[in-house]
Amino acid sequence: MTVQHTSPPRYAPADPVPTAGSRPRRTPAKKPRKLLSPLRLTFAVLVILLFVSPIYLTIVNAFKSENDIVADPAAPPLHPTLSNLSTALNRPDHLVQLGLRNSLIVVVCSVVLLIPLGSAFSFYISRRRTKLRGVVLAVLAAGLMIPPQVVLLPTIHILTWLGLDHTYPGLILSNLGGGYFSFAVFVYVGFMRAIPDEIVEAARLDGASGLQIWWKIIMPLVRPATATVGIFLSLWIWNDFLNPLFILGPLQGQTITTGLYLSVGQFQMNYGQLFGVMFLAGIIPVAGYLLMQKQFIAGLTAGSTK
Amino acid sequence: MKPLPRWVRAAKQDFGLRAIAALGLLLYLVFIVVPVLMSLRSSFTDENPLQSQSNYIGFANYSEMLHDSELKASLTFTLLLAFGVTVAANAVGLAFATLLNRTQLSYRVLRTVAFLPQVISGVIVGFIWKTIFIEDGLLNNVLMHLGIVGQPVDWLGDPSLAQLSVGIVVAWVLSGFTTVVYLAALQNIPPELYDASSIDGANSRQQFRMITWRMVAPATTISVTISLITVLKLYDIITVLTSGGPAFSTESTAQYIVKVAFTSDQFGYASAIAMALLLLSAVIALSVTNLLRRREVSL
Repeated sequence: MTVQHTSPPRYAPADPVPTAGSRPRRTPAKKPRKLLSPLRLTFAVLVILLFVSPIYLTIVNAFKSENDIVADPAAPPLHPTLSNLSTALNRPDHLVQLGLRNSLIVVVCSVVLLIPLGSAFSFYISRRRTKLRGVVLAVLAAGLMIPPQVVLLPTIHILTWLGLDHTYPGLILSNLGGGYFSFAVFVYVGFMRAIPDEIVEAARLDGASGLQIWWKIIMPLVRPATATVGIFLSLWIWNDFLNPLFILGPLQGQTITTGLYLSVGQFQMNYGQLFGVMFLAGIIPVAGYLLMQKQFIAGLTAGSTK
Repeated sequence: MKPLPRWVRAAKQDFGLRAIAALGLLLYLVFIVVPVLMSLRSSFTDENPLQSQSNYIGFANYSEMLHDSELKASLTFTLLLAFGVTVAANAVGLAFATLLNRTQLSYRVLRTVAFLPQVISGVIVGFIWKTIFIEDGLLNNVLMHLGIVGQPVDWLGDPSLAQLSVGIVVAWVLSGFTTVVYLAALQNIPPELYDASSIDGANSRQQFRMITWRMVAPATTISVTISLITVLKLYDIITVLTSGGPAFSTESTAQYIVKVAFTSDQFGYASAIAMALLLLSAVIALSVTNLLRRREVSL
C-alpha cells in the first residue's frame, strides 16, 4: 500500500493499459504446457481407473443381479438391486454382522491399549541416552521385520500356557506385543524427540509426575502421531488374517477376514452373494480411509521422508 | 524430617509412567523375543503335538531341510516373487508418482484413489482377483473379446502362469503404497533444481537420471525394503488366490511353515524352517537397506 503512495504517478497508467510488447512474448513458451495439461489429466485418469478397476468390479457387481454379472461383469449396474446385500446380511450364520462385530472388538481393544503402551514407552525411551535408545529401537525394528509365521506357533503355546488360547483376549494380547508395538514406538519416538527438554523440565519443576507430564503435556503435543498410529494399526489389525485364523480358531466365531475366507471355501457362493459379502466386508476400511485420507497420506509421507 | 534422596523421589514420581512403559516392553518380549527363542529351541527337537515328550535331535531338522524339495521350491518361488514384485511395484510406483506429480485437486483425488489397493484386506484382494483370473473370468473374457487369445487361458491352473498371476496381484497391492511414497519424495524436490538444469541445457531424460532418480533415493530405500518384507511375510493373498497350487508352484516359504506346523504337525521341523526364513529375511532386509542407504549418502 505504502509503495503505491510513494511511487511516481507516471508509472500508474502502466497497469490498466496493456503493453503490446511483454505479454505475447511469454505466451509461446507456456502454450504447449496449457495444451498438454488436459491431455495429461485424461491420461492420468485413464491409467489410475484401469489400475483400480478390480475394485470397481467389486462395487458395481455388488449391485447387479446374477444374470447381469455373468452377462457383462464390467458393465455399470443398469438395473441396480440391493438383493445381493440383503442376501449377504440375511445369511443364517450372520457371517457379515458377527464378523464385523468381532473385528471391531479386536481392533478397538488392541488399538486403545497399544496407543498408551506405545506412547508411554516411547516417551520414556526418547528421554534416555542415545546409546540405550539405539539398542532398544534396533530390537524393536526386528519386530517389524519378523514374519508372523515364525512366531505363530510359540505364541499359541504361550497363550495356551496363559489359558488364553482360542480366545479374543488372547488374540488381543498377542496383538499388543507383536510388530504393532514396534510401529507405534517408531512413530511416537520420531515425534517425541522433537519436543524440547525444557517443556518436560519446566513441568517437573512444577511438581508434575512422569505420568502427568506424559498424559497432560506430551500426548496433546503428539496428536498427529496418535492419529497415524491409530489409523494404520486399526487398518492392519482389521485386515489381519493369519493370527485370527490360527489364534482364534474356527470355533470362536470369525473376524470379517477369516469369516469371508472360510465361508467362501465351505459353501459354493454365487457371484452376486460373493460380491455382496465382499462389498460389506470392504466398505468400512475404505470409508474410513476416504474420510481420513489426509491423515493417511500425511502419516505415510512423514514416515517415508524421515 | 529429612527429605528423601533424589533418586527415590524420581522413582516415586515416575512410577506410573515407568510401569506402563515396562508393561509395553514386557508384552513385546513375551510375544516377539520369547517366541523367537522358543522357536530356536524347538528347531533342535522332534516336537510334535501328537507325542507327549519331545527329544533333542541336534541339527537333524536342519539337515532334513537340505533334502526337502518342497522347501527348495518354496524358497525359489519366494525369492523370485520378492525380486519381481519389488521391481514391478517400484517401477509402477515411480511412474504413477511422476504422472500424478501435480498439485491440482484432480491429481490429489487420483492419488487418493491409487492408494485404495492398500486399504482392502488381502482376503478380499485375493477373491477379487480370483474372479478376474479364473477360466471364465473377466480377464479371459476381455482378451477373447479383443481377439488376443483364441481360447481361455488357465491363469491359475498353469504353474508358471499362476506364479505370474500371484506376482501381478501382490505388485498391484504394493504399487498403491509405493506411489504415495514416491509422490511425497517428488514433491520434496526443489523446483529450482529443474530450472537450473534446464538453463544448463539438460534434457528431460538427463534431468530424470541426475535429479529425480537421485532425489527419490530415500523413498526407494523405504519402498524396496517394505516390498521385500511384505513378500517374505505374505500369506493371505496366496492362500485365497491359489492356496499354493497348482502342484505347490505358488507356495511361499511362509505358507510352507504354516502347513508343516498345522497340517503335518511337525512343530520341530516347522521351527527350523522358521529360523531359516527369519535369517533370510534379516540378511535380505539389512543388506538391501545398507546398500540403498549408501546410495542416499553418496548423493
